[in-house]
This record gives sequence, C-alpha cells and structure tokens, in this order.
Amino acid sequence: SKFTHHGRSSPQVRSGTDTNDYYFPSCVSHVTLEASSVVLIAVIGDEDTCTGFLLGGIGELNKNRKPNFLVVEKDTSITEIEETFKSFLARSDIGIILINQFIAEMIRHAIDAHMQSIPAVLEIPSKEHPYDASKDSILRRAKGMFSAEDFR
Amino acid sequence: MGLDPVSVNLDQKLLEFMDQLELLEEKRQRLNSLIEEGWFNISKARYSMGNKQVSALQFASEIEPQICVHSSLSEKGNVEFKCERTEPKTEELEPSGTVENIGPKEGGLRRRTKIKQKETTVEETSKCEKESQDSIKSEKSPCQHQDPLKWFGILVPQNLKQAQAAFKEVITLSAEIATLQSAILATRMEMQTQMKEKHKIQSVLEG
Repeated sequence: SKFTHHGRSSPQVRSGTDTNDYYFPSCVSHVTLEASSVVLIAVIGDEDTCTGFLLGGIGELNKNRKPNFLVVEKDTSITEIEETFKSFLARSDIGIILINQFIAEMIRHAIDAHMQSIPAVLEIPSKEHPYDASKDSILRRAKGMFSAEDFR
Repeated sequence: MGLDPVSVNLDQKLLEFMDQLELLEEKRQRLNSLIEEGWFNISKARYSMGNKQVSALQFASEIEPQICVHSSLSEKGNVEFKCERTEPKTEELEPSGTVENIGPKEGGLRRRTKIKQKETTVEETSKCEKESQDSIKSEKSPCQHQDPLKWFGILVPQNLKQAQAAFKEVITLSAEIATLQSAILATRMEMQTQMKEKHKIQSVLEG
C-alpha cells in the first residue's frame, strides 16, 4: 500500500502552526453553545477533494488557528492523518468532518470509536476509490442493530 | 395487552428508519455524482491552465471561511445542520476617470477619446495620487471573504467556475446528509430502547 506508515511527518502536508488557541470563525456574530452553535466544516482528503471544497468556501487558514483541512498525499503518514482527525474531533468549532473513504479506511478504528453526534463524520468517494456503502461507519452501525434476536 | 402499543411503536419506528435510509441513499447518490462532476471540471481546468496552476500550491496563505454551519439539537435528540453562506466581498475596481494611472510602458486599457489635456492634467495627477494611495491601502488591508476562484487567476476557465458551483451544492448536501445520519442513529437508539422494553414485557408476561 502506498500509504504505509513511515514514522515521519510529511513536509508536503499543509498544516498550521502549533498554537492551541481556538477561536470561533469571524463570520460568527453570536454563539449559543447549549441550544445551537455555529461551526465549520473540516475536510481530510486528497488534493482534488480539498481543492474542490476550498473552492466551495469552507476553508479556514490563518496565523492564529490551525487549518480546518488536511491535504493527504502519497507520503502522508497514517499517524498524521489520525492526529489531525482527533484534533478536529477535539475542536468545538468543527461540526462536520468530510473524509475520503479510502483515508477513512486507514483510520477506521478512530472513526468507529467516535460515538458523539458532533462532529458528524461523512465519508465521501475519491477519484480512484468509489463510495462503498458497506464500508461506511454510520451505515454499518445502523445495519448492525439488526440481529436474529430482534425478530423473535 | 401490554405488548400492542410497544409493537405498534416499534413498527412505526422501523418504517421511519427505512424511509430515512432510502432518503439517505438518494442524497448520497446525488452527492457522489456532484463530487465527480466537480472533479471532472477541475481536471478539465487543469488541462487548459496547466498542471501546477490548479493545485494545493495555489491556496492562499490566509483563508476566511465563507460557509458556516448552524448546528442545533432537535427535540428528538439528534443534531440538525444548516448551511449559511456569506457572499464574498468583491474588491472595488472602479474604473477611474483618468488614463494616467497605468503608465505607457505597462500594458492596460487606455481611453481613446481625447481629453482637454491642459485643463485636466493637474486634476488627473492629483486623482492619480489619491487612487494610488487608496489602492495601496486596499492592498495593505487583507481582503476578507475573497472568492477562492481568484487564487487561480483573474480569468479562470468556465470549468473551474462550474467545479465551484458543484462543490457549493455538495457542501449544502453534506449538511443535509449529516443531519440525516444523526437522525438515523437516533431512530436506531430509540428502536433498541423499544426492543428492550418489548423483551421486558414479554419476560414479565411469560413469567
């Protein structure tokens, strides 16, 4: 597999600075955390996927905050992908994480372990790997509820 | 009988669950075809502009998000997502009344009609100074909410605009699918609760 873990970080991966301060995006005028909140969409994908979604206007990148996207290339390590995914989960300003399904397969254990409803994880196809509903974590969880006992 | 209301409830939940799955399948197919259309247009744009002209290297060093998602907890306990888009502010490129802000050595559009030069030269130079100051100010202040299309050049091929339109629709659909997924999982949890209740009642009746 071309995505084997080499134990080193890729210089090609676009990631932000090391600050841990998270601020709400500038388009937010007010935030109520209990009933509703205004959040961003994050994306973990190959170059074309990230280019497309950034063209759509979801990207955020500035000196103060870490970016809300990760461009996964051939030499991106699985550790880096997993760390980025976990950092997106930990951020309170990310509501939806879009991830190519072939990348989701690499960190399937981390995605399956995520049981909260926010952020929502959406698996999307990539150019070389079409969407497979049988691999989708959400659908597997929904399908898994049907067991022989339930139909007694 | 204690079982009847629980069974009826379970049946209703199952039908609701199936409807949600069917709707999810439809939206998924639409999402996948839109994403593929977007990639196809990006590839076409890359073909006409050059490989390195449409890549991650073109991303701006500072990006402001143009889409926010409002997330809210519904009564049933699932999360609902709604997209809100802020329109990008276009930079003001008002054409000046003068000609001289672009020098003769540089390329650019020039007015062909002759102006009374003696009367207007002084006015033109003063206007030029003001405009150059304004343009310098606008360059210094970061342009907020700039259209990401401009990262790839001023005149981009139609394919790139079509790709942008496709991905904008994908983003709206993604919010709907995320809402649906949350609803499906909530329905599943409710069904499991109802099922446990049904087993309890059954064991009580048998016992």
